[in-house]
Amino acid sequence: MSENDNVKVRVRNLTKCFGDLKVLDNVSFDIQKGDFVCIVGPTGCGKTTFLKCLVRLFSLTEGEILVDGEPADPKKHNLSFVFQNPSHLPWLTVEKNIRYGLELKKYPEQLIRERTEEILGLLGLDKVRNSYPHELSASTVQRIVIGRSFAMHPDLLLMDEPYGQMDIKMRYYLEDEVIKLWQATGSTVIFITHNVEEAVYLSNKCLILSQKPTTVKEELKIDLPRPRDIASPEFVRLREYVTSQIKWW
Amino acid sequence: MNDKVKKLLYGLLSVSSLALFVVVWVVLSHAEGTMLPTPTATFSRFIDIMQNPISKATLPVHIWVSLRRVLIAFLFAVVIGIALGVGLGWSEKFNAFFGPLFEMIRPIPPIAWIPMIIIWFGIGETAKIVIVFIGAFTSIVLNTSAGIRAIDPLLISAGKVLGANRRQLLVDVAMPATIPAILAGIRTALSSGWMCVVAAEMIAARQGVGFLIVRGQEIGDTALIVVCMLAIGIVSALLSLFLTKMEGVLCPWQFSKTQ
Repeated sequence: MSENDNVKVRVRNLTKCFGDLKVLDNVSFDIQKGDFVCIVGPTGCGKTTFLKCLVRLFSLTEGEILVDGEPADPKKHNLSFVFQNPSHLPWLTVEKNIRYGLELKKYPEQLIRERTEEILGLLGLDKVRNSYPHELSASTVQRIVIGRSFAMHPDLLLMDEPYGQMDIKMRYYLEDEVIKLWQATGSTVIFITHNVEEAVYLSNKCLILSQKPTTVKEELKIDLPRPRDIASPEFVRLREYVTSQIKWW
Repeated sequence: MNDKVKKLLYGLLSVSSLALFVVVWVVLSHAEGTMLPTPTATFSRFIDIMQNPISKATLPVHIWVSLRRVLIAFLFAVVIGIALGVGLGWSEKFNAFFGPLFEMIRPIPPIAWIPMIIIWFGIGETAKIVIVFIGAFTSIVLNTSAGIRAIDPLLISAGKVLGANRRQLLVDVAMPATIPAILAGIRTALSSGWMCVVAAEMIAARQGVGFLIVRGQEIGDTALIVVCMLAIGIVSALLSLFLTKMEGVLCPWQFSKTQ
């Protein structure tokens, strides 16, 4: 039973079809509380579809996804989603974008202000706090969205290739920041990426998906010590292994 | 080419088009047997009607009478039009119920309503306001509902996963995203409202620019007609300029501060 209590996300026999197209095929797995899970797989294999099913943006064809034992509901659960494409609200300034999620949860003003300041500092958005997103670069805009998610201190953080648009320096920085946030808040993170190095660097569990119709090909535990050294032989071995698993389906 | 020179050049282009217009006007109005008043005759007619009232009103009063009808009708059109447009765009049920009815009534030109409106409301202020309302209302409804339907689904998804309920999605996400479309509708509405008021006044009125044009036709005063036509054009242009300023105020996120 104790094993069960620790499950944050339970996926059972999940199947998702769009018309005749079967995207997810009878997928089952558990994600433990406090896990940092990276989902990797070939392009177009349904990684995004899975996340959208999880937060009920898509309805499930069959099976179930439970968060804390019940269907996910953003109004009830403290979860946060960073989409692949920038999903900021263009009519709000940077600061107001970051505040928006906290305001929806009706947190006290004091806490909203503290979190917002913390995030503005953390993501280097202090100088542009009063700018509108269209005045900023694509990677800065994505940082606003990431900030909006981090500010919620979510206990379930879902990220869909969030760093795809970043240059390498910003990506390394934000990878460390998401680890810090994860460690500080004890949240559960599901992180989709097509970048194998990123997956091995971040996760303590890696879900390797097959090609469509998608199943979980392998659940790989990654228990390298942190901070991880991307040049260490063990790291390189794991990275090459995951790469080969994606390549040779 | 630097910006100052460019600006000057474009300014010159605008001025030269106006100058060309006046030149063509002068030439045409001096042609044999023409019914077009000369610019000078038009200008002196303008000065005259600024001082000597026709039907108890000088030109600014006539313009104001027309403008007031437009603005009152417009106010109703904005409030009711946005509400209906949001309903049609946001709620599938509401759209299923009202959509077909609206689609059927919408193509009827406002001017075709004039006889019925006069029978219902007489020839007083109400009748004119109702006609202008009909003219202004449809474009606001159309733009609002189209704007709501065209919202990037990602924004709605983002709102949903942040925990917004349906009302918050509408107020915080859908409505702000639709403001530019609504403003575009308002722009069309204002100009079609202004057209309708002139049409309504041409049929039955004692004051207003539409009335003044018809009076000019009745007494063969072409200069008066042209003065009114120009007044209509200029008022329209000013209204449109005002709306452009409004867009800057209401949608600051669409305009760059830096560039």
